[in-house]
Amino acid sequence: MRKVLAVFLLGIMGFYLFSSFSEIPFGENRATVGDYYLENTVLQTGSVNTITSIVVSYRGFDTLGEVTVLFLASTGLAAILFDNKGRKRRRQHASLIVRVGAHLIYPLIILLGAYVFIHGHLTPGGGFQGGAIIATGVLLMFMSYRSFEVSHKWLTYLESFAGISFVTIGLSGLIWGESFLQNILPLGVPNELFSAGVIPIIYIAVGIKVGAELTGLLDNLLKTIK
Amino acid sequence: MNISPVHFIAVPLLAAFLIPIIGRFSKEFVKVIPGIVLLYLSYVAISLFPVALKTPIVEVLAGWKPPFGISLVYGPLAAYLTALITLMGFVIWVYSYKFIIREPIEKYYMLFMLLITGSTGIILTGDIFNMFVFLEITAIAAYSLTAFLRDKDGAEAAFKYLLIGSFASSFFLLAVMLLYASTGTLNLAEITSKIDSVAMSTRILILILFLVGLGIEAELFPLNGWAPDAYSQAPSPIGAIFGGIVVKAAIYALMRLVFLLFNFSEVFHFLLIMGIITMIVAEMSAMKQQQIKRMLAFSSIGQMGLVIIAFSVGTSDSVQAALFQMFNHAVIKALLFFAAGYLVFHSGSKKISALDGLGRDKPLTSFFFALGALAIIGLPPFAGFWSKLYILISVADAGLITAVVLVLIASVIEAVYYLRVVSRLYFNKESAQETEVRRTPLTGLLAMGVLALVIIVVGIYPDYIWNLLKPAAEELVNKAEYIRIALLK
Repeated sequence: MRKVLAVFLLGIMGFYLFSSFSEIPFGENRATVGDYYLENTVLQTGSVNTITSIVVSYRGFDTLGEVTVLFLASTGLAAILFDNKGRKRRRQHASLIVRVGAHLIYPLIILLGAYVFIHGHLTPGGGFQGGAIIATGVLLMFMSYRSFEVSHKWLTYLESFAGISFVTIGLSGLIWGESFLQNILPLGVPNELFSAGVIPIIYIAVGIKVGAELTGLLDNLLKTIK
Repeated sequence: MNISPVHFIAVPLLAAFLIPIIGRFSKEFVKVIPGIVLLYLSYVAISLFPVALKTPIVEVLAGWKPPFGISLVYGPLAAYLTALITLMGFVIWVYSYKFIIREPIEKYYMLFMLLITGSTGIILTGDIFNMFVFLEITAIAAYSLTAFLRDKDGAEAAFKYLLIGSFASSFFLLAVMLLYASTGTLNLAEITSKIDSVAMSTRILILILFLVGLGIEAELFPLNGWAPDAYSQAPSPIGAIFGGIVVKAAIYALMRLVFLLFNFSEVFHFLLIMGIITMIVAEMSAMKQQQIKRMLAFSSIGQMGLVIIAFSVGTSDSVQAALFQMFNHAVIKALLFFAAGYLVFHSGSKKISALDGLGRDKPLTSFFFALGALAIIGLPPFAGFWSKLYILISVADAGLITAVVLVLIASVIEAVYYLRVVSRLYFNKESAQETEVRRTPLTGLLAMGVLALVIIVVGIYPDYIWNLLKPAAEELVNKAEYIRIALLK
């Protein structure tokens, strides 16, 4: 009876949500704010990637919040799994083919991740994506080598250092500019690596932070498996 | 660098990032950092208060004027709530200092700092998506702190909270998407000025999504099933944080959105009825509880029901009374949780029946609990009396006599179960078992003493706080003024 009621209610909810969302026209120029971003991005932020300029500059404060959410998730998990520290991972070695392959691909994955977050203002991708790519590289090593260890001390340093840099960049905007997170560096020539002011610096910090946090999360979770 | 409202968010965030590095060098200093940060924030809150009363501050972030960037709106209401949160945060830190002795202490203070960041962020932001981000920060910090003791019950409570909280977040996000799709902006003030052109059916759907999303965090009936477990399983200072900080921020978000976007009388009627049901059901459940912290949790839900009743009368006076009740509830419930935390330790059991005769053994802690109990019931010389009186007057002024009667009935139920505990403390013979666990440390007594002093002083001179709240209440009711200020016109 309860299940029938639940399905019934879910159906009603789904119907109304669907009918409301289906009325939203996609691809039409309705959003005033969106138009403004498309027209002014390159001129105002020096970044040729509009999405990056919205994420890091126009709505940079949200990104600081999102970085914090991830930081919280890893801190909370570490707090809850505190007792499990030091437990060794008991898994079998992967086969020789996987191990050799992983060893070859691992540095390339790290390189790709770094490339993605350093070029966040020029090409698709950015700090979150780059960080996630780096963490997949570490995961590959975790799965192929039983003895592969990461230093928690260094992960913590990297994580904190990147977080502090983000907030410090924000505060320096308040000191030398007029508002928190304001760009205080020259915009440079669009399409060049050294352009778009503080955007690449913030994205590098985000990339390092996300990479370190996801790696820490994976390590914490793997150590709970017997 | 002048002090500005963004410090409320940036400074605790910086502290949370710094703690792991400092923790490598000195474990003791980590415990002091949150105190320094909260002391500084209290200073900022107090020194900016008079400025906000004169002219509200709109702080533009990253240099982009609203609606293109995110801005913080620091008016009288935000000034009042941030001051409440930072000062309560400081008192909770003083109490935590000796209370939290289980590792990982470092993580506890990081989560604590981020919880402060999140809840001040909800109050300060003038952007609906940014509000979602801060809601997430607050909620995730709250889940982790619920399970901080790492026992089975704590894990269960945290998991329940996590499931229902994620549900709340996704509903909130859906509502934000619908709002953005139909108005083309995320700035709260600009949405408000465009909301009338949105189709009524979409508007109602958005309202329902917001009511469910924020109702869960604001402990609205029937969405508050997570609260008693979370309050009672988390460490006691966390119970005080939930009641004093997290719920206040969620109620603020709910009421801000209702007053700005859904200013219809039907919505207020609906909220009034939900508030009454929340209050009555919670007070009756509190009556039946055997565990002291669960009883406090249900009482907390009941008080939130009362606050929602006062808000949904919708007049400037009733909103002022609701804000006053929020202040009193934050202070008194924190005192009750603080005292209950040590009473549970002294008696060695979470049960109310184990508290027999503790009034003689632990006179100070028991005295503080009794004082808090009398204040929250609303007995005359204490702070709780005035806010309840003002709420009753404003509800009666609006002609809602049934609501007045129901609030009075709920108060009687409240009096019964609180006095039951107090009488056990003082008039029952001590049970035979002698379990000396811990003495109440000086910091704990200090935190309780300060709160008790506030309760008595506000009880004798309620006008100081009451007059401060007048501009805050007017800000919430006056929607045109908010649009004008927040859009920098």
